[in-house]
Amino acid sequence: MLLENIKLAFSAMRGSKMRTALSLLGIVIGVASVVAILTIGQSASQSITESIATGGLDMVTIYPSSGQRSTGTFDEQFSDMLIRDVEGIQIVLPQNNSSGRIRYGQESMNASVSGVLSDYGSVLGLEFAEGNFFSALDNINRRQVAVIGSSIAETLFPDQSAEGNYISIFRNQAKSYLVVGVLEPKDATFNLSYNNTVFIPYNTYGQRFIRTSSVGAYVVKIAPDYDTIEVSNRITEYLDDIVGSSGYNLFSPATLAEMANQITGTFSAFLAAIAAISLLVGGIGIMNIMLVSVAERTKEIGIRKALGASPNVIRGQFICEALTLTIIGGLLGIALGALLSYGVTNVLDWSLHLSYTSVILALGFSMFVGVFFGWYPAMKASRLDPIDALNYE
Amino acid sequence: MTESVIHLQDVKRYYVVGDFVVKALDGVSVDIKRGEFTSIMGPSGSGKSTMMNLIGCLDTPTTGLIDIDGENTAGLNETELAYIRNRKVGFVFQQFNLLGKLTALENVITPLLYAGVGVRERRQRAADALERVGLADRLLHRPNELSGGQKQRVAIARALVNNPSILLADEPTGALDSKTGNQIMELFEELHSEGRTVILVTHDREIGMRSLRQIRLRDGKLEEGYAS
Repeated sequence: MLLENIKLAFSAMRGSKMRTALSLLGIVIGVASVVAILTIGQSASQSITESIATGGLDMVTIYPSSGQRSTGTFDEQFSDMLIRDVEGIQIVLPQNNSSGRIRYGQESMNASVSGVLSDYGSVLGLEFAEGNFFSALDNINRRQVAVIGSSIAETLFPDQSAEGNYISIFRNQAKSYLVVGVLEPKDATFNLSYNNTVFIPYNTYGQRFIRTSSVGAYVVKIAPDYDTIEVSNRITEYLDDIVGSSGYNLFSPATLAEMANQITGTFSAFLAAIAAISLLVGGIGIMNIMLVSVAERTKEIGIRKALGASPNVIRGQFICEALTLTIIGGLLGIALGALLSYGVTNVLDWSLHLSYTSVILALGFSMFVGVFFGWYPAMKASRLDPIDALNYE
Repeated sequence: MTESVIHLQDVKRYYVVGDFVVKALDGVSVDIKRGEFTSIMGPSGSGKSTMMNLIGCLDTPTTGLIDIDGENTAGLNETELAYIRNRKVGFVFQQFNLLGKLTALENVITPLLYAGVGVRERRQRAADALERVGLADRLLHRPNELSGGQKQRVAIARALVNNPSILLADEPTGALDSKTGNQIMELFEELHSEGRTVILVTHDREIGMRSLRQIRLRDGKLEEGYAS
């Protein structure tokens, strides 16, 4: 019976192609826009998350504000204090950042200079094209060694390996540093461009590069099995207690990603809700074509009733027809929406994340529209008086 | 005496048209026995169409009793009436009333669809019915590819396919030329001789006289001398 009803629906559609196409357009556009908006939204938040995640989703960086640097709170003992007082921290690495001019032979360029501990390389999971990170001993002895980013290696050592050569770093005065490692290219994060940075031992930085006893930043790695956002909230609470909220800045990729997700999520839900209104309008189009279809086929309904079709059977036939219409519209809309999303993400160079929820939602909603708006015309058909319907010309 | 397949007892069917009450059928009592070939005759407006609609369960009487194949139809709802139309009545109309988008076979299958017959069986039974009316080679033709006589044969096959208790034909030759009409009448006579109950509704005296029994209506009442 179902199969016959679907066949009937298709033959009715063939009978009035133009009218069917126009009525379907509403559903197609509605479904396509819902799918496209949700998919593009999801792809956007995914690509934002991905770019934030390169900074390490289990990392939090604390920047003491300039006023706080001299008060003595943010010294090297602060690392141990933080690990002791806040639960869920694996390691805290102090860090100093500035910039300088780097030279080798005739080539020179400006670059960031970071003073970090020897653990930094392994904690951030840095990968090496040449050599390795400097050792703890290099730091203790304040040796003038450096690990350079890939762009720096490319500029200064275009035709040769950098490892084992001495580069000059200018800052008030030039000092030469032995290159012990070269990093693989790594995407920049919000706070650091790895490819364009020279890493030198923390103590070397503080005593030989720029004389300072304060700490520019603390990189905090969250212990495994702890939620980054929760721990970073605890750190925020802790720091608010001891230095006040103006005493530091906290950079947490996970928190940022969460925020970005929420914003894009809310935004695309809002847009999808607007698009859903066009689905509703499409539904009215379906109701219209179904009413016309019932009126045109009054005679057919009369014949079917004479042959023994009960009101339920007639109603089923027309609801099935409305459903077939909206499902076809839904599928076309999903295809169109996916195509649209593909185009947009391609142009914006995001990776495509088809929103399966939206596909199921859109199909489900268009089926609901079919039943909802098909119901009244189908009821009307089923209630026709058989004699009147038979005599209808 | 064989049993009644149709039993009408003091059946009245009144319509209200504006301020008037039209007494389309005004107290008719009739019995038709199984295997009878009966004509319901009368001029237009005599109530024969109303009587046919009532026997075919397309309509319900204002008062009175109608039994179809021993089943009382009083108080049945639309679904129950549809069931009787499907199982007990086979309609043949003047204008054939085939479903234009369906093939001959699909047209004949339709009543079986509503009877819930399985796919294979309904195809077989529909093909058999079409063969019975001489259209074995027209199964996949659509109505617009068939002549008037062939259309009426498809309609008769469709009326027969569910083995109804009565075959109810409303002016079945009215839209056909006399030669084709004669062939259709011969088909009805054959079906009667096979033991089917055939009821013919017609205003055409010549056609009506070919049946073995005539019921004449005038102004909604049975004409004197023909009541039974």
